[in-house]
Amino acid sequence: MKIVICLKQVPATNDTKIDPETKRIIREGVKAILNPFDTYAVEEAIQLRDKFGGEVIALSMGPPKAEEILKEALALGVDRAILLSDRAFGGSDTWATSYALAKAIKKISDVDLVICGKQAIDGDTAQVGPGIAAHLGWSQATYVMAIEEVSSFFIRVKRMHEDGYDICEMPFPVVITVVKDINIPRVPTLKGRLASLKKEIPIWKPKDIKVDKSKIGLDGSPTRVVKIEPPKPRHINTKKIEGSAPECARSLLRELRLRNII
Amino acid sequence: MKAFTDLEKKEYHNIWVVAEVLSGEIQTVTYELLGVARTLANLKKSEVWVVVMGYNLEEKLKSFFEYGADVVILVDNPVLFGFIDELEAKTIKRLITKYKPEVVICGATSRGRALIPRVAVMTYSGLTADCTGLSIDSENGDLLQTRPAFGGNIMATIRSSHHRPQMATIRPRVMRLPSPDFGRTGRIVKEKVYFGDTKKIKRIISIFHDTETAVNLADAQIIISGGRGMKGPKGFNLLKKFAEKVGGAAVGASRAAVDAGWISYAHQIGQTGQTVQTKVYIACGISGQIQHLVGMQSCDLIIAIDQNPNTPMMQIADIAVVGDVFEIIPEIIKEITTL
Amino acid sequence: MLHHIRNRTYLVEVLPPKQDSENLEADLEKFSHRYLRVINSGYCVCITDNTMGHLSFQGSEIIEEFELPVLPEQVMIHLNTFHRKDDLDNILNTCKYKGIKYLLVVTGDGSIRLPKLRPVDLDFADADSITSVELLKYLNSEYAGIFVTGVAFNPYEPEEHEFEKMDRKIKAGAKFIITQPLLGRNKVIDKLLKKYPEIPVFVEAWMSKNLTLLSEAIGYELPERKDFDPIANLKMLHKLYPGCGVYLSLLKFKTQYDLLKDTWI
Repeated sequence: MKIVICLKQVPATNDTKIDPETKRIIREGVKAILNPFDTYAVEEAIQLRDKFGGEVIALSMGPPKAEEILKEALALGVDRAILLSDRAFGGSDTWATSYALAKAIKKISDVDLVICGKQAIDGDTAQVGPGIAAHLGWSQATYVMAIEEVSSFFIRVKRMHEDGYDICEMPFPVVITVVKDINIPRVPTLKGRLASLKKEIPIWKPKDIKVDKSKIGLDGSPTRVVKIEPPKPRHINTKKIEGSAPECARSLLRELRLRNII
Repeated sequence: MKAFTDLEKKEYHNIWVVAEVLSGEIQTVTYELLGVARTLANLKKSEVWVVVMGYNLEEKLKSFFEYGADVVILVDNPVLFGFIDELEAKTIKRLITKYKPEVVICGATSRGRALIPRVAVMTYSGLTADCTGLSIDSENGDLLQTRPAFGGNIMATIRSSHHRPQMATIRPRVMRLPSPDFGRTGRIVKEKVYFGDTKKIKRIISIFHDTETAVNLADAQIIISGGRGMKGPKGFNLLKKFAEKVGGAAVGASRAAVDAGWISYAHQIGQTGQTVQTKVYIACGISGQIQHLVGMQSCDLIIAIDQNPNTPMMQIADIAVVGDVFEIIPEIIKEITTL
Repeated sequence: MLHHIRNRTYLVEVLPPKQDSENLEADLEKFSHRYLRVINSGYCVCITDNTMGHLSFQGSEIIEEFELPVLPEQVMIHLNTFHRKDDLDNILNTCKYKGIKYLLVVTGDGSIRLPKLRPVDLDFADADSITSVELLKYLNSEYAGIFVTGVAFNPYEPEEHEFEKMDRKIKAGAKFIITQPLLGRNKVIDKLLKKYPEIPVFVEAWMSKNLTLLSEAIGYELPERKDFDPIANLKMLHKLYPGCGVYLSLLKFKTQYDLLKDTWI
C-alpha cells in the first residue's frame, strides 16, 4: 500500500499573540511544531505499512523551515518526505492548499491512501482533507476513529459523529482524516532522529507538480482575511466572594438561589 | 479560475442553510442557522432557503418555515439515510449550479465539516470554518465572516469577494435560537439525488447510536468544570459528586486536565473540545487560557472558584469565589445535602 | 541506597537533550560529557524523564547509543507515567540489559505530545488513571528483583494527602525517597523522617539562583529572594539533615561542580 500523509507545521498556540500596534500575529520567538492532530496520521500510516507492507510518504506545504516537521516524521519512521515550498504558494487558503497538495499526490502517483489529521490547531478549519479528496475526485472519510479492515480493493473505517459512529466501506483510492481515538502516537527515538538528520528532503516547486498558477497562492484563494484583532473581552462586573470555606460556600449558594438555579 | 464580474455576481441570490439531519431528526443547529440566515436575508432583501437531504422527512418540514425559511428544497431518498459525503456533495453542487445562491451556511458538525469543504472545492467557492459572526458589508454587499483562529487568540474577519456562493460553517450553540413563528409557511421544492458514477460510491455498513456513553455537555443546564487546579482524578471525583448534588449538571474539563489523563476527552471544553452555552458554568481550578474561554464564554452565568484571584477565568467570571476548591466544594456539597 | 548517604555520594541530576534541540549532536556531546564527569567523581548521575512535559530523549537510549559506562551504583533513571506501554517496556529492558538498577518512579507531567499510560496497559482495570503507585506495582511484579525503586515526596502539597500517598507508595515497593527542593528546615520533612526512619531520604537542593522557576516547578509560590545562594543553601541542608542524602537539581557544571567536594563534610 502506498500511503501519503499530509502534515502541517503550526505555531504552538499557547504562545500566539497579536501585536497591539500593528495588529499582526507575532511570529518571532514562537515555537513551531508538528500539528498535534497530524501525529495520529503519522502513527496510523506507519502501523498500516508495518502490517500490510508498502511505503509511507510525508508531504507538507510551507516555508523552508517546515522541513523540521518532515524530519520529525522521518525520525518516527516514514520512508521519505517531500516539501512543497515556493513563494508562489504563499497566502494559500484551504482551497488553494488542498489543490496544491492534490497535485503533489498526483505526481507521487499510484497512491492508495491519503491520511490527514482531523484539523490543524492554528486554522482549525478541517477543510484541507476533504478538499484534497474533492480535487482528486476520490472518496473520503472524516473523523475516522478506527480502520476496521483493509483489502486489496477497499478500506472499511469507523467514523465518529456527534450521536455515535458509523462504519463505511470505500474503494481505493481514499482520503481519510483521523481523530485522536485512532491510536497512541509514538515519540521519536534517538536512533530514528539521528538517522533522519542524514536524509535529504526534496523541495517541489509549482512547475514540478504542474499546477495551474492561477489556482495557487493568494491569487488562487477565494477567501481573503481582511482584518485580524484580539477577541473582545467579555463585559462583566465580577462579584467577588471571599472568606472561610463555609462562608464562601454559603454565599455562593445564596447567589445561586437568588437566581433560581438551585 | 477567473474572478466573478459584478454582473456575474448579481446572478446569485438568497441565503441557503444546509439542514443537519441525524437519523431522520432535524437538529437544533439548523434552526440556529435559520435565525442568522433570516437576519442576512433581510439585509439583502432576499430569501432564506433550506436544503434538506435525508429519508422520510416530508412530514418534518413545517418547522423550517416557523424558524424563518421561505423555501425548502427537499431531497428525499432512502440512500440518504446514512451519510455519504460524495453523494451529498454532488447533489448540492447541482443545486447550486441550478439555483445560484449567494450564501450557503452549514452547521460545523462532523457531517457539515466533511460535506461543505468538498462542495466548496467543486464549486470554487470561498469557505470559512467555524464562524462566530456573519454580517453584510454595507458598501458592496459581501458576506463578512468572523472566526477565531490560532486557538482563539485571534479573531479574523474573512470575505470572499470574487466568488459565489460565499460559504461558511457555524458551530452548534454559537448562534442564538430564534423564537418560532407558528403561523409561518413557505414553498417546498423537491429535487433528486445526483448519483453519477455509482461504482465508486461509499457503502454505509452500519450506524451506531452511542448517546449513552456520550457526555452530554450540550444539553446540560449547568456545567461544573475542572482544570489543572483539581490536581488529579480524585479532584474530578469531587466534581462528579458536586454535579450529582446539584442535579442535572454535567462535568466538563479544560485541556490541561484531559491531557493529564484525569478525565476523558469527551469532557473537554474549548477550542479543541466542545463549545458550550449553558445557563451556568462553574469553573473550578481553571486558569482560563483563551482556548478554554472561547468554548464557554457565552454561557449566561460564569462562576469561578480558584485560590488565585488574578487568573483570566476569575477576571471574566460573574462570580469569583476566592479559595481552595478542595475546601469550598465539600462545604457546598454539605450545605446542599442538609437543605 | 543507604550507602549513598554513608559514602557522601551526591545524586546529580542531568537533563537529557530535548527532542526539538536545534543542535542535537552538540547537546548529546554535552550530555555525555556531564554524565562521564559525574561518574568519574564517584557521584550518582540521575537522568530525568521529560521534565515539565518537555519531550526529551530517554537516558537509557543515550546510554545505549553512545555506549556510556554504567556503574550500577552510580546511575539512576527517572521514570514517569507518560509513555506508551511498548516504549515503557523498551526503556525497562534497556535498563535491565545495561545494568541500570535505580529507578525514580514519578507520576510526571504530560503534554500534548506525551502519551499517558492507560490503566488497561498495566492491568489496572479499576484504577482511574496510572500514577506512580500503579507504575511501582507494575515494576515490582513484572520486573521483580531487578530494580530498586524510589519515589518523590512533595512537602508543598497538602500534607495529609501526601502522607497518605506515601503510604501507598511504600506498600507498592518504594525503597527510597527524594524530596522536592528545600530552602531550609521543613516541618513536613521532619515528620517524614520520623515516620519512615528505615527508608533512605534524599533532600533536593535547588542549585539555580532562579527561585521563580522553582515556584513553577513545584506549583507553589515561594517567597522571592534576590540573594539566594545555592551553595550556602546546600551546606545548610547538610547541617539540618545530616542523616539524609542530597539530590542536586539544575547544578551549574561550569561554576558549581568543583565546589561540591568541600560541601558535604
